[in-house]
Amino acid sequence: MQDANRKPRRSEGKNNRSLFRRTIFLMVVLGIGIFLPLVAQLYKLQIVEHLEWEERAANQQTKSVSVAANRGTIYDREGRTMAMSATVYKLILNPMDIYGSIKKDKYMDANGKLDEAAYDKALYDLRKTVVDGIVELFGYDEELLWTRIERINSAYEVLYQELEEEDAERVRQFISENRLSACLQLTPSSKRYYPYSSVASHVLGYMAENKDSGGSKVGAQGIEALYEDALSGERGRVVTSKNGWGMEMISGYDMYFDAQNGCDVHLTLDERIQAMLEQTLAEGIETYDIQAGAFGIAIDPSTGAVLAMASTPDFDPNNYSAILSEDLQAEVDQAAQEMGEDSEEFGAAWKNIWNKQMRNRALADSYEPGSVFKPITVSMALEEGIISLESHYYCGGGKVVGDRTISCHKRGGHGDQTLTKAVGNSCNVALMDIAEKVGPDIMWKYFEDFGLFEKTGIDLVGEGKSQFWTEEAFKGPYGAQSVATASFGQTFKITPLQMITAFASVINGGHLLQPYVVQSISDGDGNTIFYHETQEVRQVISESTSATMREILESVVANDSGHNAYMSGYRIGGKTGTSEKIELKATDPDNDDVICSFMGFAPVDNPQVLVLVAYDTPKRSAPRSNWTADGTYISGGNIAAPMAGALIADILDYMGVEKQYSSDELAGADTMMPRVTGLELTVAKGQLQAQGFECRTVGTGNTVTHQIPNAGVSIPGGSNVILYLGEEVPYSQVETPELRGLSPTRAKVVLEDQGLFMKATGVIDYADSAVVAVTQSVEPGTMVAPGTVVEVRFVGSVMDYG
Amino acid sequence: MRKKAKRDLTIEQQLARGPIDLPFLALVMLLTSIGLIMVLSASYASAMYNLDASVNTEGDPLYYFKRQFGFAVLGVVAMFVISKIDYQQFRWMSVFALGGSIVLLALVFTPLGRAAGDSDVRRWINLFGIRFQPSEVAKVGVILYFSARLSKRSGQLGPPKKWSKRTLTGRICAVLDRIGLLELVPYGVILVVVLFLLYKEPHMSGMILITVAAASVLFASGIKLYWFLGGGTLVAAALAFLITQTKYMTKRITIWLDPFQDYRGDGFQPIQSMIAIGSGGLLGVGLGNSRQKYLFLPEEHNDCIFAIVCEELGMVGALVIIALFVLLIIRGYWLALHARDRFGTLLIVGIISLLATQTFLNIGVATNAIPTTGISLPFFSYGGTALAIQLAEMGMVLSVSRQIAAPKAE
Repeated sequence: MQDANRKPRRSEGKNNRSLFRRTIFLMVVLGIGIFLPLVAQLYKLQIVEHLEWEERAANQQTKSVSVAANRGTIYDREGRTMAMSATVYKLILNPMDIYGSIKKDKYMDANGKLDEAAYDKALYDLRKTVVDGIVELFGYDEELLWTRIERINSAYEVLYQELEEEDAERVRQFISENRLSACLQLTPSSKRYYPYSSVASHVLGYMAENKDSGGSKVGAQGIEALYEDALSGERGRVVTSKNGWGMEMISGYDMYFDAQNGCDVHLTLDERIQAMLEQTLAEGIETYDIQAGAFGIAIDPSTGAVLAMASTPDFDPNNYSAILSEDLQAEVDQAAQEMGEDSEEFGAAWKNIWNKQMRNRALADSYEPGSVFKPITVSMALEEGIISLESHYYCGGGKVVGDRTISCHKRGGHGDQTLTKAVGNSCNVALMDIAEKVGPDIMWKYFEDFGLFEKTGIDLVGEGKSQFWTEEAFKGPYGAQSVATASFGQTFKITPLQMITAFASVINGGHLLQPYVVQSISDGDGNTIFYHETQEVRQVISESTSATMREILESVVANDSGHNAYMSGYRIGGKTGTSEKIELKATDPDNDDVICSFMGFAPVDNPQVLVLVAYDTPKRSAPRSNWTADGTYISGGNIAAPMAGALIADILDYMGVEKQYSSDELAGADTMMPRVTGLELTVAKGQLQAQGFECRTVGTGNTVTHQIPNAGVSIPGGSNVILYLGEEVPYSQVETPELRGLSPTRAKVVLEDQGLFMKATGVIDYADSAVVAVTQSVEPGTMVAPGTVVEVRFVGSVMDYG
Repeated sequence: MRKKAKRDLTIEQQLARGPIDLPFLALVMLLTSIGLIMVLSASYASAMYNLDASVNTEGDPLYYFKRQFGFAVLGVVAMFVISKIDYQQFRWMSVFALGGSIVLLALVFTPLGRAAGDSDVRRWINLFGIRFQPSEVAKVGVILYFSARLSKRSGQLGPPKKWSKRTLTGRICAVLDRIGLLELVPYGVILVVVLFLLYKEPHMSGMILITVAAASVLFASGIKLYWFLGGGTLVAAALAFLITQTKYMTKRITIWLDPFQDYRGDGFQPIQSMIAIGSGGLLGVGLGNSRQKYLFLPEEHNDCIFAIVCEELGMVGALVIIALFVLLIIRGYWLALHARDRFGTLLIVGIISLLATQTFLNIGVATNAIPTTGISLPFFSYGGTALAIQLAEMGMVLSVSRQIAAPKAE
């Protein structure tokens, strides 16, 4: 500063002021000014856009591995596994990465020229390793695999959809041995197994991919579809941190979101009953050469729980895309032959045929119920007090309604009948008389009350709708014919499920119940999270009317058109039905397709099971003939009733319902043979008589030395047992005689002559000469030991068409 | 040597023994310490994974920290030693500093300069076992020489030189002198030489910083404003030309405006940097808890260390650090304003302007407020020699601060 003092003052002062000002300026600009935009930028990034950047950070810093949730199991009412899941693996080939993993610059010289031969060889070697490995492991088509591996624009070639764990392990080993993790990937997925294959397939449904499911399979029908959300559970995730090279880091950042396993669904369905029902349908189709399939439902009439529901043809949910039935496959083959397998028409035809097997007719289709509907009409008339058990009806073979005569199926007429007999005869004229009295208004109201206008609300997808006249038409001046035909279940269509639900209310005390198939749902830990309580829609008829209806319906089976469903020891009530297809008749007058059905329940005093069995279009022996090729008169009573009767008996046996015998039946009921060997003849005879047995003696003497049958063997009461008095028992076997076509009395005699015993089932009305044996448990000509019990089933030919 | 008693010293020597400016020292030490901690945190992953091909850390996570710490100690010692030097001595030293800088810059192109990896960039030299960037030295050299020379501007130290009016050259020179161009010639020549050498390395950010440092010294020294306007216009025109006409610069600008258009390429670093900063939020993920340093963010312990600061310490931490820088810069200028003479003022202005610009450019790049250039953050970025040289520069500031006259007692 000493120096400065000597310099011109103005200049120095000016310069110092300039220095001062300019330094201040720099201080403001560089010390504060430039940092303001930085703070603003920090505020923008860290506060305003914080969430956005945080999400980006999380996306790249964490590796989220999806953990599949186990799909819930479907159980039947006894806890049998109907559908279950297991882990399988999808094998994916990544041709793009295979191509990309051989770097071109590795094969370039200093001038950037590619050594093509070396490059091509490296690529070929890598591809060959993959192809050879896959071909060796699984025998994949080598040529196809080469084509696929050369699709360098594709990164996702699915080689196998569902590799089981052990196969996947082999692939993993192959990948790690050859360092192919960029080329082949295994992704876990889940496969559904249906242990009982086609049993209950329509109710269970199946798993398939659809356009919204994103490559995974979802329930596509039935329970699988309706309870998709509950069954599927929620996928879990494992979130681990990873570094910039994608390597997982061992750190405390791991987060686990447990997969929520799917819920288990417990059905009301019983696999055994379901199998019996399906067996019954299959047998009927076979026996009566049924043309258009069959369907059946079994429910518990007191709760609405569906015990079984079947529709033929059906499919195997394990392999739903295959045509299961031989008949349908024949159709496919024929279509293939006609149209050529590659044609579009064939594709459409195949789809049509496939749709047939996927369709649950018991649920989705409507049909004219025919005479099975008659109890509905009768019950409403009884309930309204319009008729009573004492009412009498005269059938002259037809009734004039409006401008036409509607005939009864028995052209000669049923003559005078009580109400019970009219139902037993399935007399159309009587029903038309009743309907006339009831009138359209009340009928319409009851149709509504029986739930025929709306869906039953069952917990299944795809319930069909009923088809009725409009209310105006039905109640209008031209509705009389509709009222008349409606009385016996024709000219309107309802679903089989609606029919059985309405019928259940007729016999269960009048309660219209909502049918259901899912009894409960439990979560992964076994806690029940849903339990189905019986849902009563409304009371349709009174308890007493219902009781009357049960009596009438028991009589139908015991004495009349439903007699073929009679099984001794089981109090079965029911109604037959032979429904025409009026709709088809309207377009084709020659059409005489019928659906033969039977609705039956047992035991009558406390119905535990209600069964509807229907066969669509039995083959006629000749056009317009009323007989099948093997001589069965085509009617519900002859085709459906015997099948249904046996089914009901089987179901009751399975359910452990005790048999009840009337006094008449008791005579033929099985009794255990007592031990009489060693006793004096008179004592033995006394004991046998007490048990209801008859006996004949062989040889002379006073002491019983042998007996046929042996003690403890059950034989029908009233059988003629053989007592040997000192004489040797013949050890030789005897030949079983031919019994088919014989009346019950004759068959018993023929058998007892051989020292065999008869256990009669089916219609055992000894006085009825129309009753003949149709099956015998031991084939004629078979050699059997004396005393063997041969089961013989008798069926009467019910000529009634109703 | 025994320390002489104060009374035996000359006034000059006594002044040079004045008290050091403690606030400035405290800020420097604080920033250095925080910087060290952040280097430890940021370099941890890179050192552990031995990421940098040119450095073999042998998987020691503390590798970078240890080295940085060593240089910090060295730097602090250098700072104190330099602060003890009477800064008037820097006047004559400045000539050698500048000369030495230019020689070092030239040495880069000899085998001593080691190109990093297989690239052609030659910014480093290895001298006596120390590897450093000559451009760091050149900054100091330029600032020292410019401030020393500009503190004795003609017209301030004596009457203006008389130019002969008789010769044409004389008349031209007179005009040039009057408009102030003539005195700029030596500075211009020096700058052109230095910048040319940096351009050949090439070292864009070094060029920017040396230009700014030189300009700030020139500006403060009272060079006529229209030269800055002219110079500024020239630079702006050159930039505009570069941006619009060269592919390289155009791409930088478009990447700056939308880094996501080249997510995997040039946009990667700005995006990763913004992810780090943005995910830090207000309070940050916590010291040492950065996730971005795990191989996502490139240059995480060098140019992008501020992003890790923001991620770990949040906006609060980032603002505290910016505030420390701002305080340091303001205190620096305050010292400049109070310096004993013009040389002291200009020296501090140069050093602090350099520091401020470097800080601004680094944080600006990290937050994507400005286009990418590779500029390190003073006291924070890893780089031992750079840190040591920065601390030495701070020593110079402290040296100037010793000779500030104590405020008069009221």
